[in-house]
Amino acid sequence: MERNVAALGRQPATPDKFAFVGWLAAWVGGLSIWSRLRWAGFLFVLPALIHLATFKFYPMLEAFWLSFHRYDLMSPPVFNGLRNYQVLWENPLFHQSFWVSATYMFGVALPEWFLALGLALLLNRQIPGRSLIRLAYFFPIAMSQIVVAMVWKFMYHPHGLVNTILEFFWIGRINWLSTEETALPALIIIGIWRGIPLFAVLYLAGLQSIPKEYYEAAAIDGAGPLQRFLHITVPLLLPTILLVIVMSLLSAVKVFLNPLVMTEGGPNGTTRVLPYFIYETGFAYFRMGEAAAASMVLFAFVFVLTLINLRLLRRGGLE
Amino acid sequence: MGFPGLPGIPMKLGAAYRQDVKGGRTMRRFLVPQLLVGLIALLLCGSASAQTPLTWWEHSNPPHNEYSKQLVEEWNKAHSNTPIHYEFFAMTPYFKKLTAALSTRSAADMFTVIDTLLPSFTTKNVLGPIRPEWLGYKDLEDMKKAYLPGALDGYIDNGKLYAVPPIASVFSLYINKKHFQEADLDPDKDYPRTWEDIGTIGKKLVKMEGNRMVREGFDFAMHSSTWTMWYFNTLIRQFGGEVLDASGQNCTANSDAGVKAMKVRAMFVHDYKISDPTVSVGTNALPADDLPKGRVSMFITHAGSVAQFGPEVMKDMKVVPFPQVNPDKPVSPIYGFAIAMNPHLSEEKQKQVHEVMKFVLKDAKTWYERTAYPYPYKNFLDLPGMDEARRTNYLDVFIHDISIGRFIQRSPQIIEINEAIHRAMERVVLRNEDPKRSLDQACTEISRALAER
Amino acid sequence: MLLRYGGLLVTLLTILGIGVVLLPYFWMVSSSLKTGAEVFELPIRWIPQVLQWANYPNALSRGSFGIYFFNSAFVALAVMVGNVFFCSLAGYGLAKFRFPYRMLCFVLILSTLMLPLEIMLVPTYLVARELGLVNNYGGLIIPLLVDAFGIFLMRQYIKSLPDSLIEAARLDGCSEFGIFWRIILPNCKPALGALALLSFRDTWDQFLWPFIVASDDALKTFPLGLAQMEGIDSAAYHEIMAIAVMGMIPAALIFLFFQRAFVRGIALTGLKE
Repeated sequence: MERNVAALGRQPATPDKFAFVGWLAAWVGGLSIWSRLRWAGFLFVLPALIHLATFKFYPMLEAFWLSFHRYDLMSPPVFNGLRNYQVLWENPLFHQSFWVSATYMFGVALPEWFLALGLALLLNRQIPGRSLIRLAYFFPIAMSQIVVAMVWKFMYHPHGLVNTILEFFWIGRINWLSTEETALPALIIIGIWRGIPLFAVLYLAGLQSIPKEYYEAAAIDGAGPLQRFLHITVPLLLPTILLVIVMSLLSAVKVFLNPLVMTEGGPNGTTRVLPYFIYETGFAYFRMGEAAAASMVLFAFVFVLTLINLRLLRRGGLE
Repeated sequence: MGFPGLPGIPMKLGAAYRQDVKGGRTMRRFLVPQLLVGLIALLLCGSASAQTPLTWWEHSNPPHNEYSKQLVEEWNKAHSNTPIHYEFFAMTPYFKKLTAALSTRSAADMFTVIDTLLPSFTTKNVLGPIRPEWLGYKDLEDMKKAYLPGALDGYIDNGKLYAVPPIASVFSLYINKKHFQEADLDPDKDYPRTWEDIGTIGKKLVKMEGNRMVREGFDFAMHSSTWTMWYFNTLIRQFGGEVLDASGQNCTANSDAGVKAMKVRAMFVHDYKISDPTVSVGTNALPADDLPKGRVSMFITHAGSVAQFGPEVMKDMKVVPFPQVNPDKPVSPIYGFAIAMNPHLSEEKQKQVHEVMKFVLKDAKTWYERTAYPYPYKNFLDLPGMDEARRTNYLDVFIHDISIGRFIQRSPQIIEINEAIHRAMERVVLRNEDPKRSLDQACTEISRALAER
Repeated sequence: MLLRYGGLLVTLLTILGIGVVLLPYFWMVSSSLKTGAEVFELPIRWIPQVLQWANYPNALSRGSFGIYFFNSAFVALAVMVGNVFFCSLAGYGLAKFRFPYRMLCFVLILSTLMLPLEIMLVPTYLVARELGLVNNYGGLIIPLLVDAFGIFLMRQYIKSLPDSLIEAARLDGCSEFGIFWRIILPNCKPALGALALLSFRDTWDQFLWPFIVASDDALKTFPLGLAQMEGIDSAAYHEIMAIAVMGMIPAALIFLFFQRAFVRGIALTGLKE
């Protein structure tokens, strides 16, 4: 036991951390079975925590610290209290970006929740050619993000593919990327197109954990497909559903390459999502402190949202 | 190519990971051979040089990079104890990388900058001043005399030179000769000289199919706020105004001159109806791509497009000077890329950088031939062998436009200013908003940006 | 009646769906076989006049793509393996053990997903530099070895495994790590497969971090090579598309490899309550 736990301790660590973990492991080895269980759990998580502390927490804390400073990336940061937050509050462009992000986030995530589940259920069936169909649906995520942007920009051209199809159905031409009302929906469509296979993969994995026997027993008892879905699939899939809901929101809120490459945040700022605003303010306008403040606002919003989700789907997450 | 730098500690850490990870995953069996292959590849890439090489970073621009690489090879052959390590990076994120590197003091010794960003960098002291004496001139005035008038202005801040340009670029008007001839116009005599000319001539060239414009008479590019500023700044100057006042602290874009400039910008869409801006927004790739495809008859683009289009397409094209409001007071937009120096170098290294610059910049003719951008030397046109280029590649037009050219507004907040003007332009062109109102809003945004400096 | 036509409807929807999903891909492949001038022609011509197979070797010669592909594959595989191991470790700890501040740990881990990389770019680069991880393979791999998404995924999946399994193993005297290795992991194949697949794809496609942390040509990854084919006034889009098509192959291969993890209905005999 000690050997295995100590093996865990031999992870990316400077010499002092190694000594500490080794000591910890030895101490745990001597504990009673119940305490040992608890601390073993902690030790399992420890390597990941150390890694995240180094490469994520520390930079995040630094971003938090920077949000109270003026920093143009080249000269040393200068403390200026809550000024950055005040400037953001007074900047209508920031407010616009916030709402653009919120719209995009929910616009992409909500359809994904349902469409991805539908796809996963579909791909779970024993239909012929299943492997190839799965591969076909997987293609959107296999495509490099830069290429996706190029391809879709061309498809949204006023004389391009999407309009050609729309004209075929007599809907008429829409200037997707140059009309303020349609630019964001255009990007949302791409987000959904790319997200569905990804979350379908997650749902598929979750579906595998439901034993076949449950369905068979229910079928024998006379339950129809809808009832089997509602009473077996959904409850047992709750952990995965929580995963998909939280991850779809989190990944949608960080999207920024498509608006950058396809619309430069336009027209008139209608596709300037918050990460784009942050990047611009920091790297293009050299106001890193303000950018950090904007990210803190983004972080707070997403953090609260995630906590709400964890609470609501308690049975799938918290226990 | 230098050694990629395989330090002991991180690789050991990496190896420690792989040792600890035992057991069943099939993929892992391939890890050790992969690792070996990787190491061999690294070693084969080149041996470490005796001295720390001089590093040079450029943005990606295929013909330009090829020539730079060639120059680097030549230098390395002749100077094996002070080699250059050259790298180039994807164009659009290049400045993000440069900024991150400058901010963490890990930038290369020499790197390319674009003139518009020069004030942003010089106000933060991340560029080293260039010494004309080390480049073979007596002083800065002497060096300016060797270049076309005003060609170095974009790279001078507070009386000091911060970057040296191997090329100068300018915007000129490209017209499609075939379309002109089809409309019974003579491309050599009837080409537009003023913006109004473009409107009237454009009406004869535009082609509609129902209410779909299948061929535009004329258009501006709309994909980038910097391009928008190149057009707008020039227009407002043609009307006698400026985007910022002399102190650089106040926005004057919403003056009469600005409103007139914006009206000209939008008139081809709303009044003459020879432009379809939704199409130019949608032009994915190269902004000037609609022109060689015959989707627009007249287009303003930069000198490098001659090489971009190729000789086949250029047979049907003609380049004429940038359109003016008042032909007696001509202004055109110029810009360029230049080589700048890291400020944190030892004196000896700085001298080396200057030597490299001298070497790289010495052959103006080859720069032009390889990159199709004119070189801003005063006597560029008189160099031997230029006659052919003058005849077929419109070099006269470009040099003419460069000599009446002005770099866009100098300001450390230039990108924010560009973005504000770009949004105003989008509102006016796409939504037909009143130009004065749009520019007022732009000025509010710009004033806020200037106040935050 | 719905049931009878349900199957047909499903098949039709599937085919339609595939069509929609694959359209951009078809355009990409067809563009990779066109001449430069044909790529952005409107209206779109799906089959090029002459198939330009030469685009592929030409594109490869534009940069050291052999090295870029290798680097991407190497880095993506290493990160994939690391992710699978560390995330399942942490996911198990969070899912099946009750230790103090367990929820806090979980929420903290999740919080690392909430900030976009752009804002953490400079501080993360500084950390990497302190650890000597700039401009080498360590810098490309190590910062990506643990991803909160993977931990979340594994935690959710392991939660659904029955506790009785673990208790039985404990009673048999198995060590904690042994339980993890011999009982938990083998039962997580679908989730491990999903994690491996998504982790590989994410790392393969990563642009910003390798762009900032690696300057040497010998270290560049595939997305970097792709992006630098665009210059300011010339970009051979037919060749870019050719490279893009080739770039999809590794991810597709990994997907096919891990597909068997998604075999339906793993019969969990012996686990019946």
